[in-house]
Amino acid sequence: MNVIEISNLSKSYKKLKAVNNISLSIKQGEIFGMLGPNGAGKTTTIECVTGLKDYDSGSVHIHGIDVKKELQKVYEIIGLQLQETIYQDKIKVSEICQLFHNAYKNPIPYIDLIQRFGLEFKLNSYVQKLSGGQRQKLSIILALIGNPKLVFLDELTTGLDPEARRDMWAIIKGLRDEGRTVFMTTHYMEEAEYLCDRICLINNGELIACDNVQSIISQSGIESEITFISKNNDLKQSIVESGISSNVIYNALNNTYTIYSAEDKCIARTALLLESMGIDYSKLSIKRSTLDDAFIKLTGGNCKNE
Amino acid sequence: MNKRLMIISIEFKLLLRNYMNMFFALFFPVMMLLLFGEMYGNEPSEFFNGRGGMDVMVPSYICMIVAVTGIMSLPLTVAQYRERKILKRFKATPIKQSDILLAQIISNLLLTLVGIGLLLTIGKIRFNLHFYGNPILAIIVLLFIILSVFAIGLLVSGVASNGKSATAISYIIYFPMLFLSGATMPIEMFPASLKKISNVLPLTHAVKLFKGIWFGESLFDFTKEIVILLIVIIVCMTLAIKMFKWE
Repeated sequence: MNVIEISNLSKSYKKLKAVNNISLSIKQGEIFGMLGPNGAGKTTTIECVTGLKDYDSGSVHIHGIDVKKELQKVYEIIGLQLQETIYQDKIKVSEICQLFHNAYKNPIPYIDLIQRFGLEFKLNSYVQKLSGGQRQKLSIILALIGNPKLVFLDELTTGLDPEARRDMWAIIKGLRDEGRTVFMTTHYMEEAEYLCDRICLINNGELIACDNVQSIISQSGIESEITFISKNNDLKQSIVESGISSNVIYNALNNTYTIYSAEDKCIARTALLLESMGIDYSKLSIKRSTLDDAFIKLTGGNCKNE
Repeated sequence: MNKRLMIISIEFKLLLRNYMNMFFALFFPVMMLLLFGEMYGNEPSEFFNGRGGMDVMVPSYICMIVAVTGIMSLPLTVAQYRERKILKRFKATPIKQSDILLAQIISNLLLTLVGIGLLLTIGKIRFNLHFYGNPILAIIVLLFIILSVFAIGLLVSGVASNGKSATAISYIIYFPMLFLSGATMPIEMFPASLKKISNVLPLTHAVKLFKGIWFGESLFDFTKEIVILLIVIIVCMTLAIKMFKWE
């Protein structure tokens, strides 16, 4: 079942097409990641989908509800974490929680969430005084207070230290395990690889690909890199003839062979070939392409990747 | 707790934690009262047309409190909430942005009343303040004045693009009103040229009206002031509703 249906969504700011004809469906219970460099249109997409920004054309349905028509109904069932949210000056953690808790019909007691995320010793602190990680935890608590079926997270881990990021990852997986659907944006590839069931790549407001991580990598057609060391400098011909790959390079300085191949079983075939020929070799290894490589290939390599 | 009440109680707490507001709405008027009270006393004097000096000044200090909360505190907070996207964050919840605005208005109204209460209490204890009018009429007129001053504040909060421009606009409106409307210094002391400027300021008319009611004069003697304040309310409210930017 699809919980979000986005069709032909477009949004322009003056001349800039921030979101250009994007269509997506997000399934019940998945972690869906939207990836792209800064300025690709991720935040604008989230803001259009959640009704915070008016879009120019297309349609968005959340649990079958038209976002443009019945926004208040949508806000009862979604939870939202916005990028770098600032709260009122001098508001305390307990007060902002009360404020949100009171807003929903069937809220989760906020004290439960505070305990779950380990912020109980901060209840009486001013929100401004929290550390980056604590503040992000608070923003997740506020997103969850309404017991939403669907949680939107906009660059939740940007600016966090590695430990706080790992914490966030565990939290996000926990949300899925509770049966919630998560729609997140990030510009960290390894985060998407680790967390997301499916991802989409966007650049300059356009959808480039949408699938699970492995399929996107193989779609991109990037070759794996197999290397091994051998003193035998005459293997190139045999490798090419065996059909593993025609792209073989031998570096005589360090006796290293490098084979580029898009074929899945290329390393096994290389090993079999070397064994059957009785060649003396060492350090046979493979470097498979990552989402990073795929992303750069698919976006034409013209984007900065942080 | 009721949803709106909860928002109001929290917004009011936040307002009380803002030392600037506390100072100008609560302590500054009391300071003025004590300073000038000790200088002039509250015995009937010729300088105040046979009235007690503090009896004359307290109604204008009350208008000063209204100006602080309505023209300084309210627009600055609302413009800041918009600039820092606090209003936007609430949009994505079942809380309405207008509930936050309403809570801000009511919190500032409460702060006004607390400030007035404090001023009157200290005035009564220290200088044996006299009130000559009809209390119910005075309360109604006071609410009318609050409405007109808050209407100006709402317009400023609605159009200021950020906290800084709200501060600038508020200061431009507030300080001339503070010193030239008779809210801090008796207008009777002004030379003719200053009186002319003073007459342009809405707060001048509020001060005149409220002073008159304080001394038991008839409402009909102040039709001009009432009409001017009514126009301020209508114009500012209409513009504020039309031009209010939530983002």
